[in-house]
Amino acid sequence: MIQTLDASRRWRWILPFLGAVVVAYALLAPLTSLDAAQAINLPLLADKVWFRIATIIAMFVVLATAWNIIGGLVGYAAFGNVAFFGIGAYTTGMLIAKAKWPFLLALPLAPIAAAIFAALVGLPLLRLRGHYFAVASLGVGVAVGELVQNLDYGGQPIFGGASGLFLPIFSIDNRGLFFFYLMLGAAAIAIAVTWLVLRSRFGYGLIAIRENEEAAAVMGVNTTAYKVAAFALAAALTGLAGGIFSQWNVFINQDNTFPIEYNVQMILMAMAGGTGTVFGPAAGAILLQLLIQFLSGSLPITLDLPFVPSDARPVLAQIILGLLLMLVVIFAPRGVIDFFGGRSRLSLSYLRRSLRETSI
Amino acid sequence: MADFVQLVILGLLAGGVYVAVGVGFGLVWGVLNIVNLAHGALVIVGAYLTWQLFNTFGLDPFLSLPLVAVALFAFGYALQRSIINRIIRAPLLFTFMLTFGVNLVLINVLLLVFKSDFRSVTTSYSGQGLELGAIVIPYTRLASLAAALLLAAVLAFILNRTRTGLAIQAVAADRDAAQLVGIDLRHLYAFTFGLGAACAGVAGGLITLIQAITPTAGEPYTLQAFVVVILGGLGRVSATVVGGLAFGLVEVFGQSIPGSGSVFANAIAFGLMVLVLVTRPQGLFGRIH
Repeated sequence: MIQTLDASRRWRWILPFLGAVVVAYALLAPLTSLDAAQAINLPLLADKVWFRIATIIAMFVVLATAWNIIGGLVGYAAFGNVAFFGIGAYTTGMLIAKAKWPFLLALPLAPIAAAIFAALVGLPLLRLRGHYFAVASLGVGVAVGELVQNLDYGGQPIFGGASGLFLPIFSIDNRGLFFFYLMLGAAAIAIAVTWLVLRSRFGYGLIAIRENEEAAAVMGVNTTAYKVAAFALAAALTGLAGGIFSQWNVFINQDNTFPIEYNVQMILMAMAGGTGTVFGPAAGAILLQLLIQFLSGSLPITLDLPFVPSDARPVLAQIILGLLLMLVVIFAPRGVIDFFGGRSRLSLSYLRRSLRETSI
Repeated sequence: MADFVQLVILGLLAGGVYVAVGVGFGLVWGVLNIVNLAHGALVIVGAYLTWQLFNTFGLDPFLSLPLVAVALFAFGYALQRSIINRIIRAPLLFTFMLTFGVNLVLINVLLLVFKSDFRSVTTSYSGQGLELGAIVIPYTRLASLAAALLLAAVLAFILNRTRTGLAIQAVAADRDAAQLVGIDLRHLYAFTFGLGAACAGVAGGLITLIQAITPTAGEPYTLQAFVVVILGGLGRVSATVVGGLAFGLVEVFGQSIPGSGSVFANAIAFGLMVLVLVTRPQGLFGRIH
């Protein structure tokens, strides 16, 4: 008994320590690519390929953490959050490409536009519960993407149409590095916002709604206002990521700013990490995005999978992702974050208990 | 006027497929409380089975419908019994994600086996139609509508006139009470999901007649099944039939709007769905739960 306690104590500090080392490396290694660092012959610890992947990972940390605010804290299964990503991307993109605004001035308007849109659609949608809300939010996500691609005025597409929207390149030294830290800043904001919300009266109200909406209302929580505020907050963070994405990627269209699969990926990441927690969605986003990149063969470190021709690799990656999704849902419903901090240990009896809780 | 009648007829005919896609989806949703995101994938599995039977044995798609239904029933039964039953008591997000995982696996296995080439079934009578003055009614579409209505009738018969069907309705009304009177939930859930999958398979068979198929062609059908079930209302086969036909009409009339009506097909459908959800959540003909 004492031995297992000791063992779990040892685990308790080793894992956060390892995590801190990895995070510190990820944060600082890119700096070695600066001209100043190269001039004094520091070894190059991270190249452009890594920046790109690290920026994508940071983007998904924002998306999963933002989804967690509406999906994890309020318990409303939002399936159309990608609409906010696209609205953020197109707000910044249009202001830069058509109105010739500078990027740093156009970026703050992305979260504002997304939040306003979320508040407007949230008022009717958040009256729906359960599946109905999930489906209706999915519908909004699909419909907004289609409208953005196809709306035209006097024969001219308003938002660039099917051929998309090209932005002028934001000229700065080390563009990759700049956008990596920008996206990282957005991720830090998202996590900090979640942390603050969870410690506020607002956060307690949201959790009360998740646990029992009628009881929360009786206790004096203004459920409509709280739900709409949470939805708008999630939208603002998602829109911020979209705004950064538009200038980083330089080209935006319906396919890369309204991809339906992002809806599922952000939820999967939040669930794999642990919904309703501060760091769970971020952990899930990092792990799963690394896995997705590895399986599809775009990481610099790749392994030749046996019996698999290279052209079948992306397909196989999707199959593995699907199986993983099923395993997570069945066996680890509280996410991997449940194994840290000594609350539970990964063991056969844990898996058996999770299985028994939900099956008939 | 003839144009209008033609559009109404085309809309009702297009609705046939939506009826077939919707009834299975609505059954699983209503009884198991699962929004089955793998429904479109099951539809496409049915479509590939039909295509394979046509290609290898030259079997007419309409004749292969019962075979496809039986195969998909077995697959759906096994899937529910072995996997989905494991999380049936979890919050709805879990069933959402699980069925999406199934969807991902099915579609990508099809991609491995059949590649992403377009496949189509061309029968001797495709392209022919019944001409009544200025109005044309394509035979394949007419037969598809008839098959879809027959499917709905068979499903309604099973649900209302057989012992198993009544047990399914009992479970939908009150799971715990149903278990108390001796209904085997594991079997019954699997049976219900099997029925839903069989309907999806039949829908897939009908789809091969009107469009070329690829492994990813089923995804729009999951979304459309949502809309159909919500339009009609949950809980009754007849409501879904009305929802499917109404959706076909909306689609055809939406596409006929001069200018860019066709590119807004999804936006129109979902706008309509959100409108119905917000103003009349039980659907046009559904029962209030």
